[in-house]
Amino acid sequence: MRRILIGTSALPDSPDDSKSSYKGSSRSRLFTVLGLFILCFAVLSARLIDVSLLRDGGEPSITRAGSDRPGATGRADILDRNGVLLATTLRTPSLYANPRVLLDPEEAAKKLTTVLPDLSYNVLIQKLISKRSFAWLKRGLTPLQQHQVNSLGIPGLGFLDEYRRIYPQADLTSHIVGFCGIDNVGLSGIESRYNAELTAPDRLGQAISLSLDIRVQNVLHNELSEAVKTFQAVGAAGVVMDVESGEILAMVSLPDFDPNRFSEANAESRFNRASLGIYEMGSTFKAFTVAAALDTGIINLKSRYDATNPLRVARYWIRDDHAKNRWLSVPEIFIYSSNIGAAKMALDLGGDRQKAFLDKLGLLSPSTVELPEVAKPMWPQPWREDSTMTVGFGHGIAVSPIKIAAAIASLVNGGYRIDETLIRGKSVSAKPGDRVKSVSAKPGDRVVSAHTSKMMRALLRLVVTDGTGSQAEAVGYSVGGKTGTAEKPGKRGYRRDALISSFVGVFPSVAPRFLVLAVLDEPKGTKATHGFAGGGWTAAPTVSRVISKIGPMLDVMPIREKDAESHMILEISSEEENLEAF
Amino acid sequence: METATWGNQGKLTIRQKLWALDWPLVTLICVTAVIGIIILLSSTNGQWEGLILRQSIRFGIALVAMIIIALVDIRFWMRYAYTLYGAAFVMLVAVELMGSVGMGAQRWVDVGIIRLQPSELMKVALVLALSRYFHGCTLDDITRLRRLIIPTGMIVCPVALVLRQPDLGTAILLVFGGGAIFLLAGVKLWKFAAFVAVIVGSLPFAWRLLHDYQRERILTFLDPHRDPLGAGYHILQSKIALGSGGVFGRGYMKGTQTHLNFLPEKQTDFAFTMLAEEFGLIGGLALLVLYTIILIYCIFMSLQARSHFARLLGLGVANTYFLYVFINIAMVTGLIPVVGVPLPLISYGGTAMITLLAGFGLVMCVSIHRETTIPRSQLWQP
Repeated sequence: MRRILIGTSALPDSPDDSKSSYKGSSRSRLFTVLGLFILCFAVLSARLIDVSLLRDGGEPSITRAGSDRPGATGRADILDRNGVLLATTLRTPSLYANPRVLLDPEEAAKKLTTVLPDLSYNVLIQKLISKRSFAWLKRGLTPLQQHQVNSLGIPGLGFLDEYRRIYPQADLTSHIVGFCGIDNVGLSGIESRYNAELTAPDRLGQAISLSLDIRVQNVLHNELSEAVKTFQAVGAAGVVMDVESGEILAMVSLPDFDPNRFSEANAESRFNRASLGIYEMGSTFKAFTVAAALDTGIINLKSRYDATNPLRVARYWIRDDHAKNRWLSVPEIFIYSSNIGAAKMALDLGGDRQKAFLDKLGLLSPSTVELPEVAKPMWPQPWREDSTMTVGFGHGIAVSPIKIAAAIASLVNGGYRIDETLIRGKSVSAKPGDRVKSVSAKPGDRVVSAHTSKMMRALLRLVVTDGTGSQAEAVGYSVGGKTGTAEKPGKRGYRRDALISSFVGVFPSVAPRFLVLAVLDEPKGTKATHGFAGGGWTAAPTVSRVISKIGPMLDVMPIREKDAESHMILEISSEEENLEAF
Repeated sequence: METATWGNQGKLTIRQKLWALDWPLVTLICVTAVIGIIILLSSTNGQWEGLILRQSIRFGIALVAMIIIALVDIRFWMRYAYTLYGAAFVMLVAVELMGSVGMGAQRWVDVGIIRLQPSELMKVALVLALSRYFHGCTLDDITRLRRLIIPTGMIVCPVALVLRQPDLGTAILLVFGGGAIFLLAGVKLWKFAAFVAVIVGSLPFAWRLLHDYQRERILTFLDPHRDPLGAGYHILQSKIALGSGGVFGRGYMKGTQTHLNFLPEKQTDFAFTMLAEEFGLIGGLALLVLYTIILIYCIFMSLQARSHFARLLGLGVANTYFLYVFINIAMVTGLIPVVGVPLPLISYGGTAMITLLAGFGLVMCVSIHRETTIPRSQLWQP
């Protein structure tokens, strides 16, 4: 027998509460609170109805598994520049059954085993007599199998299309094209970088055309693999680039993997040395030092530096590998790859100008190549005087091979900056089916004058004709280039036994169209190289072989050597007379 | 304790008290808890061992504790209100000093066999202490701002500690649970308005004190799609699961979103979502109705009490219970940010269960001793 006491007798035991105003306010307050409670629950109920029935803001009522999303099923192809298929999606039908509709499970199972003999009758019958409305019977049928199952005419069987990403070129393009995961989402390379574009429903069927030329890629891949085998290198990287547009015709990183079986690949082979690896490139950097010094006018080709004695920097000695122990001219410094000369030249240039020049070439920023796997370069901070000297011959600064390729290309293409790209016709729109031509891209920012560019071509050519890069020559293609040999940093300073040997070559050197870069990681000397493992002995011959094979493919007309020689000397000698010394 | 001089009801025997115990309420609570265990059973795919067994044993112990609390004389609770508050406060400080860290938040203290969440105990202790304080205040006292300093401090101190742990959900429960007692005690409305103004004014500072994850939750609440796989994941999945349930649900143990593990924390904070997916809108609304019946029952029982303390206590506990329900369901349906408040009697977890049943015990205690009167001025200060 309970009396409901809301406000009627608030607190009879207390004299303080006799005031009617309190009782009144107390009562109204209780009603207010009660009302609030009820209101809140009403709001909750309304919200519950809203979310469970009216479905708020376009949220799907059921989360679908990844492969059912519209974009993931249709994934556009990836092609090379000539339309060769690099990645495609295949539709494979998968067989399922609706046991509820099935008339005679035993007969169906018997018939199915005749067409699909790898299915077990017992397993089939288990699936078919169940009361479920869906059971997978076999995934990934061939079109013939699908036809045969259809011919059985069993009601209650059906097919669902599933999709598989296929990479016909397998490990040839593993680092560039990359791969997709099991749910057809790109996980590396172009597949990852252009995942959205490849799956965009409004551009389905529109393949992405890469700048890659699969023939050139194949040559580079073969030659680098050969070099890795011959010199027992732990890895290699290589690039072939159009020096005028920056388009990458080939890019190889070894070891590599088969993207069709990406799960079996280890981290080492998934690593893209060409864009994600950064290396101290050694003497290749002398090209930048010389170009900067020539372009700013602090030296000319007649200038000479004293390379008689090793140079002391802090605790280290700068020595020459091909020591002449005398005063050297600028071309001599370059072709004999004199560290002492380059260091002194860099000192004359000065740290600020040197840094600004490398920055202008893009060497101090990560590659803009269309891959998720790009590395930031490492350079000395602070940039002191000793750094200036070591950077002058390519030590103390580590950049990715792809950036080196683009920077050298910028020096020889007439002197304007190009940026490496994997997308065909990114700078100028090219029509499908175009043969590789030096697409005259819109010139970028000027990095050196046309005159400096011309001198650099001559100097690079001299390295091959008279200097450390003689093994890079490919008859008819007038190769110019620069060797690079750097000791790999180890736990205790540089390791004499572990080298990064490289050669960057351009051809034809009179008017370069293509650049070939080969970088070998820890090559070992062989009998044929008299135990030497430097760039001139290992990477240079590789570049030579690559050029002699890709030259014809790329429509580069062979030049008669004498003509080229005289042509160049004429061009150079009109400004400088010093070259007769070589 | 010379109780006879205080009360006009005299001392009841245990038998009389048991007879007077609110058995319909006990039944409602048991029904809700059984629903909770049924839902948990679905989350473990019908596995009785471990989780379910532990939860059932906890409920049993808490039920006995609830009845014992209900049978104790209400004046006992009044006498020890401050002591209990003090104890809970000391434990909160202890957590701050040496609590073990679980799930990134420091909420537990090891008391021998069981691990306690003092922030949970504080919810009941605060209601007790504030009820006692306002019981001792005259209406004139309440109009004086000076008299409100102590009870405000009683709320602010534990809230500050709880926020440091950091446990936003408990802090909100303490502020609103305590604030409601101010309101019921008769504090003028303009003071609440002023208080709200101060809070709003200090929001920019509070924003800076919040943990990154708490900021994320608030920002994500405003737009869950900004981070669908991160901070917005809980709420999006919860809403998807609610939509998946529809009107009649997907059937017991057949909830796809919950059983395929799309829905996180389905045994604790998001238990309601699981229920709503498997039993549909009907199931969700039914639970809501059940909760409402319990709430209204508690409120009406409290209003029958003759002493101010008892009424404040009963209403305060009912309000705290209401806040649990409201915040949790509002949270899982995306009305308010995810703050981490369990669903009463359903969510897996020991301390929340004990706190709630202890609270219901106090409400029943209020009901049993509704005729007991306590002089107001005598006991306001210990």
